[in-house]
Amino acid sequence: MGSLLERPFRTLLTMLGIIIGVAAVFAMLSIGEGTQKKILESIDSVEARTITVYPNWNNGRASQRRAWRPFTEQDVRDIQVIPGVYAATGELASDYDIVSELSDWRANVQGVDAAYLKANDLTMQRGRPITETEIERRDTVAVIGTSVVRSLFRGQDPIGERLKIQNIPFEVIGIVGETDAQNWRGQDSNNFILIPRPTARSRLFGDDRLVRNQVRAVKIVGEDQGTLASIEREIDFILRRSRGLTADEAPDFRIFNFSANRQAFAESQRTLSLLLATMGAVSLIVGGVGVMNIMLVSVTERTREIGLRMAIGARGSDILGQFLTEALLLSVLSGLLGLGLGYAVSQVSLGTDDIEMVFSTRIALLSFGSALLVGVVFGFLPAQRASRLNPIEALRHE
Amino acid sequence: MDAPLIQTQGLTKLYGGGSSIIRALDDVDLEIGTGEFVAVIGASGSGKSTLMNLLGGLDQPDQGKIAIAGKSLASMNKRALAYFRNETIGFVFQQFQLLPKKSALTNVRLPMQYRRPRLNNELELARSSLDRVGLSDRIHHKPTELSGGQQQRVAIARALVGEPKLLLADEPTGALDSKTSVDVMNLFVDLNRQGITIVLITHDKEVADYADRVITMRDGQIVEDRTQVGVR
Repeated sequence: MGSLLERPFRTLLTMLGIIIGVAAVFAMLSIGEGTQKKILESIDSVEARTITVYPNWNNGRASQRRAWRPFTEQDVRDIQVIPGVYAATGELASDYDIVSELSDWRANVQGVDAAYLKANDLTMQRGRPITETEIERRDTVAVIGTSVVRSLFRGQDPIGERLKIQNIPFEVIGIVGETDAQNWRGQDSNNFILIPRPTARSRLFGDDRLVRNQVRAVKIVGEDQGTLASIEREIDFILRRSRGLTADEAPDFRIFNFSANRQAFAESQRTLSLLLATMGAVSLIVGGVGVMNIMLVSVTERTREIGLRMAIGARGSDILGQFLTEALLLSVLSGLLGLGLGYAVSQVSLGTDDIEMVFSTRIALLSFGSALLVGVVFGFLPAQRASRLNPIEALRHE
Repeated sequence: MDAPLIQTQGLTKLYGGGSSIIRALDDVDLEIGTGEFVAVIGASGSGKSTLMNLLGGLDQPDQGKIAIAGKSLASMNKRALAYFRNETIGFVFQQFQLLPKKSALTNVRLPMQYRRPRLNNELELARSSLDRVGLSDRIHHKPTELSGGQQQRVAIARALVGEPKLLLADEPTGALDSKTSVDVMNLFVDLNRQGITIVLITHDKEVADYADRVITMRDGQIVEDRTQVGVR
C-alpha cells in the first residue's frame, strides 16, 4: 500500500483514466436522470398533451388551387366531444391597435370560446372569465393579459375600465395570470386581449366569404398522452366528413402533435447520454489497462519482496489479496476524485436550461462502483501473476 | 534418543530434461538432530542450495522423502507448506531480503502477519526478537539507515520472531566484510547455545568452522560428514 505513495506522480497518472471515466459515467447518469425527470414532469403537462389543427393549402394544380378553407364552430363542437379530450378551443385572432383612456397599444386580439383558458392552461389572476352567455350574446367584454395591463393601463387596475378596438368599446372584466408559455413567433405571450369569438367575427374580423362561423385553427388537449393517437384519428375523421374529403384524398388540413417534439428532445438527450456513456466506458477501459500495466510493473519491481513474503509463510491467496487491495485502493481513490471532477465540471459547464442534471446517491454509488469493478477486473491479472511466482526464483530476481 | 529434527531418505532433485538431466541432489540420506549447528559446504553447483530449498519447503523433491519435526513434507499442499514455513522454519538470506522502506520493527514483524491464528502480541515478539540480536536501539531505523551487519541482524531477528524449530541460513555472511561476518557468526553460535537448531549453507570454510558438524557436498552427493568442535 505504501508503494502507491512512494511514487505519487506515477500513481496519479495511473489513476487519470479511471478518474475521467468515472466523471463521464457520473455526468452521463446524472444527465440521463435529469432527462427522465424532465420527461416525467412534462408528460402530463398541457403542452405535452396538445394537438393543433391548421387548414392547409389544397394540393393539386395551380389553376384549381384556392385559398385555405377555415374550420367552423361546428367542427370545434364536434371535436370537443371526442372521447379523451380534456379541452378543445377554436382560434381566431388578429393584431389590432388598442386605445384606452391612458394610452394606446398594439396587442393580439383573440376571439375565444368558453374552453379557451382551459385549453391554454391559463388561469385568471383577477376578475372573471368570459361566460357562455356573454359569448352567445356577442357582448363587448374583454379579458386581458398582464402585458396589456402594464402598457395600456400603465399598471393601474383595469377592471371595469374600457378599451377600444377599431373604435368599438369593450369592458375589461378580468386579467389572466402571467404565463411563460413559449410563443412560437417569439412574441410576448402575455400581450393579448380575449373577447367572445362571435363578437370578434361580427364586429372586427368579419366572416369568411364562403365558410360561415369560421375558425382559423383548433387547439385540442388530451386527458393524457395515451389518448392523443385516437384523438388524432377522430379529428381526421370529423374534419374529412365536414370538408367533404374521402379517406384516400389528401387532407387540406394539418394536425400537429406537440408530444412528437418532446420525443425528439428526449431522443437528443439520449444521444448525448449515450455519447458520454461510450466516452466513460472507453476511458474506464483505458484506465483499467493503465492500472493493469502499472500493477504488472509493480509486481516485477517487487518480485523479491513477493519471494520473501512467500518464504516466510505468505500463501498465494495472501499475495493475491495484497495486490488486489492495492488495485482496489487505486480505484477507490480514482473513483472519489472522478466523482468530484464529474460534479465540478457539470457545475461549471452546464449552466444552461437545456440539460438538466439530477445528482443522487444512487448515481454516485453506481459510478463509484464502476471504478471498483475496473480495479478488480484489471488488477486481478497482475495480482494473480504475483501470487503464482515461484518463491525460489522470486528471491533470486535482480 | 529423540527422533531427529530433520530426516531425509533418498532425496533426489533433477534439473533440465532429455539427455541433459542434472542431478542437483542425488540420493541424499541425512539426519540432523535438535540443537545441532550444521554447516553444509560445497562449491557452487554442488547441490547445497537445492538441499536448503528442499529442507525449507520452498521446493519439492523428485524422489525421496523429507520429514521435519516428524512431519512429512511430501504430504503437504502449497498452502500447508506455506504454513509449515511460517511456523517451523526461519530463513536467513545472503541479500538480507528486507523491505527497504519499512522500519526494522515492521520487517521483523512481517512473518507474524501470515501466522494463523494471528497473535495479539506481535509487536512484543518483534521487539524481543530485535533485542535478542542486540538491536533494541534501532527498531525504528529503516534498512537503508543500518550497516550491512545490522541489516543481517534484523533479518535474523525476523527469522527468529516466530519461534522456529529450525534456522536455515543461506550464505548469511556472503554480503558482509570479514569483521562483520565474525560478529554475525558469533550471533549464530550464541543462538545455537540457546538451543536453536541451525543449518547454514556456505562455500566458505572459515564460516563452516563455527559449526559443530560440517557436511561437504559435491555433485549432489554428501562426500563428507564430520563432527568437529566448533572454533568457538
